[in-house]
Amino acid sequence: MSDKDATETSAVTEAAPILKDGNCESAEKPENKSQPVASTRKRPETNPSRDLEASQIPAQVPQDAAKETVSKDAPQTGWGYWGSWGKSLLSSASATVATVGQGISNVIEKAETSLGIPSPTEISTEVKQAAGETNASENESSPVAGPFGMLSTISTAVQSTGKSVISGGLDALEFIGKKTMDVIAEGDPGFKRTKGLMTRSTLSQVLREVKDKEEQSPSNEVTMETDKKTHYGLLFDEFQGLSHLEALEMLSRESEIKVKSILSSLSGEELQTTRLELEQLKEAFSLAEFCEDEEEERQGDEEFTKEITELFAQLHVSSRPEKLARARNTAYEWIRTSLARPVTEKEEGEKQLETENTEEVKRSSIEDIHAFAIRSLAELTACSIELFHKTAALVLHGQKQEVTALERSQMLSQLTVMLCKDLGSLSKEFTTCLTTAGVREKADVLNPLITAVFLEASNSASYIQDAFQLLLPVLQISLIESKTESPRGEPPAQNLLTEH
Amino acid sequence: MEAIWLYQFRLIVIGDSTVGKSCLIRRFTEGRFAQVSDPTVGVDFFSRLVEIEPGKRIKLQIWDTAGQERFRSITRAYYRNSVGGLLLFDITNRRSFQNVHEWLEETKVHVQPYQIVFVLVGHKCDLDTQRQVTRHEAEKLAAAYGMKYIETSARDAINVEKAFTDLTRDIYELVKRGEISIQEGWEGVKSGFVPNVVHSSEEVIKSERRCLC
Repeated sequence: MSDKDATETSAVTEAAPILKDGNCESAEKPENKSQPVASTRKRPETNPSRDLEASQIPAQVPQDAAKETVSKDAPQTGWGYWGSWGKSLLSSASATVATVGQGISNVIEKAETSLGIPSPTEISTEVKQAAGETNASENESSPVAGPFGMLSTISTAVQSTGKSVISGGLDALEFIGKKTMDVIAEGDPGFKRTKGLMTRSTLSQVLREVKDKEEQSPSNEVTMETDKKTHYGLLFDEFQGLSHLEALEMLSRESEIKVKSILSSLSGEELQTTRLELEQLKEAFSLAEFCEDEEEERQGDEEFTKEITELFAQLHVSSRPEKLARARNTAYEWIRTSLARPVTEKEEGEKQLETENTEEVKRSSIEDIHAFAIRSLAELTACSIELFHKTAALVLHGQKQEVTALERSQMLSQLTVMLCKDLGSLSKEFTTCLTTAGVREKADVLNPLITAVFLEASNSASYIQDAFQLLLPVLQISLIESKTESPRGEPPAQNLLTEH
Repeated sequence: MEAIWLYQFRLIVIGDSTVGKSCLIRRFTEGRFAQVSDPTVGVDFFSRLVEIEPGKRIKLQIWDTAGQERFRSITRAYYRNSVGGLLLFDITNRRSFQNVHEWLEETKVHVQPYQIVFVLVGHKCDLDTQRQVTRHEAEKLAAAYGMKYIETSARDAINVEKAFTDLTRDIYELVKRGEISIQEGWEGVKSGFVPNVVHSSEEVIKSERRCLC
């Protein structure tokens, strides 16, 4: 691995380790060097024709995808890109995998080195051969359960392309995301319901139906207990996320109806100004694109708690984010302890004594990490949505405060970004945990778990962003009401309600 | 197979502000009692499994409503999809007892076309020395509305289990007798998953639900 001689590739390496290998070992892709490098951390824009190609000719994907990553400029990336509710879950899911890929490159790199995976060139030929065997292995089921219960499908896809995951890094993951969504689109009835999102059926409906189905499906009878521990949807419901989401949707819907009816009763100049102000509010709700800064460290526990508490104080709602902060800090604490453990084991040289036993311990521990990761993500998401729900209730029915709807929107937007970023770093840490604990695991054991964590993290982020969007009508009605309650003719800037 | 339950019931907990609704529910679902707690905003959600007979579990989804008047428009929306309810008053607060009648009127309006099986709960019974409502008059009022009456304390964990499980059993009996049935578009009672067991026939027979309140 002597990548130092290829100066131009050094920037590429970080984002896509696979390129590094490609360059230093075979230098067979000279075109890479001339490409702009800055965009590699970002998700390439979706290219439908490539998707099609990819799903049809899986064997070519590692190479194709690698090229795409470097050559495509992708201005619209980050969590924010797929956040809006209008977007189909399809795009969010694939974006998900890619976003997550920013972090996974490191993980993959580790996994790659530790697993002694051959170079991509070797792989690509192997993959071609393996493509024939794919069908045979597709029936293997994996213990991973996902949101919408679709991860079993996903993991199958991961398995069947297992080798390219490791070799292709984030590009392969992205491919898997797409491949998976194709698979789901074709075969999973749950996904068809999910697709209903495009026709504006509510998120909670979709989630509830899928969860109910999961709970009641007789095929899960035997594995119910183990599945439950890693089933995001069930856990999310257990933490009351679904109920809070439904409650928030209800408030959002009611507000939306009110806004419409008020707008239809206005006319002339009044209508114009109101429209203008509502438009400003809406802008605050279009999440600014937030790419994760390369060097940005995750926030420390106190830092996070402090920032989120401050944001909430500025919101002037009496609801407090302590529950969320506690859950979040507990998760990080768990990771710290978990990361500390395997190292000590190695130092003590126990592996020489009882190899089989140690392996036993480690195997159960990657499953533990995975289960805890999914659980934490579900809990944090539920807590976040609960906070949004409470915020909505208080904005609508709380004491009037010295803060405008616009200011609140901006703070909520900030909060959303903060929460999603934090979920991103949390999932990275969980996967670091997984790779550390599973150094000696086979790729087809470790990879589905890593993919599952990233997938659920991105799902989590998209639920949070959805919940955030549901607050728009709530703040709109609060803005309109604050106008009608204050004396006419004053400029909006003075419409702060100081007393009540 | 802990996750398996026969039915899911939705229960709503209502009553004046500060009578101790959230504390009662937390005691029941989390086994804890918080000395200080913030007033509930809008509505909160809890759940717990209850074993009514050996091997027969019911999942309770409990809706904790804000007692404060300003959240009434939110909490009202939750009556309709509840099969049962705990109507709380504080035995040391006469006013909260007098409001029981209003709470029942309020639910009656908003629960249509369904009905809720209510139990009247005299809460904070550990504070007997400050009692402003006698057990006798509370029982009389409950009987007048066809409700059971029970006195509870979240702080000393008195009758908390009993309040919830008795109500759950009563509802279960009604479901078994077909007087309450699972209906499309109504969330009060839902069927759970039972392995290798055919659901009892009462679900199939749709009959009129009788009001117990």
